[in-house]
Amino acid sequence: MWPRFFRLHKSPTQGNFPEKALRFLLERGFTYKAVETYLARKSNGQKSYQEVAASGILTELRQAYRRERPVIYTTAFVPTELVYGLGAVPFLPEVWSGFAASLGVAPRAIHISESLGYSQDLCSFHRCGLGLFGMGILPNPSAVIVSSHLCDGGRRSLYYHSRVAGCPLYVLDVPYSFDREARVFLARQIEHVAQDLVRKVPGLSLDHMRRAIEASNGARRVYLDVCRVRRNVPSPWRGSEALNYVSVFLSSWGSGWLPEFYGELLRYLERTVRTCAFPVGNERHRLLWLNLRPYYRTPIFDFLEKQFSTSIAFEEYSKLYWPEIDPDNWAEGLAEKMMSNFGWGPLERRIHAVWSMVEDYSIDGVVQFNQWGCRQSNGGARPLRDFLQKRGIPFLELDGDGVDAGNSGSAQAITRLSAFLEMLDSRGVIA
Amino acid sequence: MTVAVGVDSGSTTTKVVVLVNGKVACTTSAVTGPDPAKTASLCIDKALSECGHTFREISCLVATGYGRERVSGATRILTEITCHARGAHAMVPAARTIIDIGGQDSKVIRLDERGFVQDFIMNDKCAAGTGRFLEVMAARLQVGLDEFGEEWGRARGSVKISSTCTVFAESEIISLISAGVKRPEVIKGLCNAIAGRVASMARRVGIEPAVVFTGGVSLNEGVRRALEDALSQKIVVPPMSQFMGAYGAALFAQDLVE
Ligand code: SF4
Repeated sequence: MWPRFFRLHKSPTQGNFPEKALRFLLERGFTYKAVETYLARKSNGQKSYQEVAASGILTELRQAYRRERPVIYTTAFVPTELVYGLGAVPFLPEVWSGFAASLGVAPRAIHISESLGYSQDLCSFHRCGLGLFGMGILPNPSAVIVSSHLCDGGRRSLYYHSRVAGCPLYVLDVPYSFDREARVFLARQIEHVAQDLVRKVPGLSLDHMRRAIEASNGARRVYLDVCRVRRNVPSPWRGSEALNYVSVFLSSWGSGWLPEFYGELLRYLERTVRTCAFPVGNERHRLLWLNLRPYYRTPIFDFLEKQFSTSIAFEEYSKLYWPEIDPDNWAEGLAEKMMSNFGWGPLERRIHAVWSMVEDYSIDGVVQFNQWGCRQSNGGARPLRDFLQKRGIPFLELDGDGVDAGNSGSAQAITRLSAFLEMLDSRGVIA
Repeated sequence: MTVAVGVDSGSTTTKVVVLVNGKVACTTSAVTGPDPAKTASLCIDKALSECGHTFREISCLVATGYGRERVSGATRILTEITCHARGAHAMVPAARTIIDIGGQDSKVIRLDERGFVQDFIMNDKCAAGTGRFLEVMAARLQVGLDEFGEEWGRARGSVKISSTCTVFAESEIISLISAGVKRPEVIKGLCNAIAGRVASMARRVGIEPAVVFTGGVSLNEGVRRALEDALSQKIVVPPMSQFMGAYGAALFAQDLVE
């Protein structure tokens, strides 16, 4: 009954010319060659870490659309090492929603998700992902893996993707406790998912697991150095760009190109510090940014960085929170990674993680971007505000929408940010 | 002689305060309309001519409000949060909480003893808890906003308006009127609804006395009394309460001159 139901609702727009044309192009090898050539020509304006990321992402997109490797859809809190370790390409619809927003495609995708019957109350990162899928422009998944923790909307909306594609859906049930028993319970599920996928999806095998885990550990070691350099005052990396690269942080652990990406980024940051070529001149304030950012064109970051000389010195979703993973005991290592997410469990874990970022990155004020519909983040704002204010760190809740530009106003956001920065000025925290 | 001007270019009304040698010489306001820049210029000219000065004599001008970027001749631009805090603290030095309800937004600001902003919260996403809500309801009830206080006093009891959404509340009062509920009771219910909404915002930032009420709605006696009930606090409505943002801006302008 379910497959039939979903066939009926399959694609309100598949068959429209622009989507068909885009799909056609995405499935052709020459498209990727053309984009690579274009980027190479432009490369004098590009930084080396940007080139590494662009080339890594393009290669994976080509493999996904041309079916050179199976594609597995996941949500942001499932460890992608599991997917790379099976030899598949991970695909996170939330990440591509952000990308669609930056290209201006999101409004159409969001309308389509509404015509599929999804409520405006659902986080737009999911609504847009559903719409993009409805438009027929996302690669076809061979499987979907979601987790029970943190993002509830992700688990439910990816159900749709799996049913329409007719592929298996796995839900990793993450325990709320943190003892060894809980870790083993989750590790057994991860093992089961991996083995079941190898059986069900042609082209998958566990032979890639060691390489993926080692790549992840290697990237992790370099990334810790990246974080160390980002502690520098003034900030060596433009926060608005760092917030874009949160997508890489969420979706690329286990990929072969990630260690090189962070290596290049590290060299760039070290050079910036050495040459004092800081992106925000005369840095007045240093902010910590919680949750995601608006990915469509918005004046708020220029306002912060240029008009108010304020850096976003670090972002919540760039915080590395898990220990190295033992390649010989990868399932437990991945279970530990999932359970170590500081957004999961008692709220004190997130509060302490935020506080450690405040201390490590010499933060003056914390801004939480209250993404519409994101209960896991917005729900904890009050205790976090109280905790920070007791320690003299101002906290701003900035209501908005990261994908749906129609659901928030930049003038209102700028008024709040200005008032917040004026408040920091009046406290005499000017660096 | 110094002429310091504060302009609050709000989404509904533009307000101007002129300080001559640090003392309030004149205040003026006008409906902002479709061209905030032009309205601000006209308002400034009007205020200055009322106190016998010209634009060229301005020593410093500070602009605030949603249209602040568009006020020409501004030496400095500041948000209405900072300016309200400055103005209210100058008027009522004991002020620790400011509740400001304007035409299209409402905000609550918590101050320290120096008058510096400690925290704030704004609602400008929907008409609930703003002057617009009252305007729509007053039009529906065919009563002037200035009559709310009197009607509030006449009410024997109050009805509960459960929705603060302007659209839902409008249909709710239509049903109440057709069910025979008297106008004063409905008005009291409306004042309680708006006060309840703003009181929750105030609790979010923390309420400390003295609580000062500013913005156009502060002149509405019904809402003030409802707020006192909702917060179990005495609410101070200072002189020039509807000009507080512009007054704060003028004080900043005076600082810059000095
Ligand atoms: S913003 Fe929140 S609700 Fe939206 S995808 Fe991310 S975690 Fe899920």
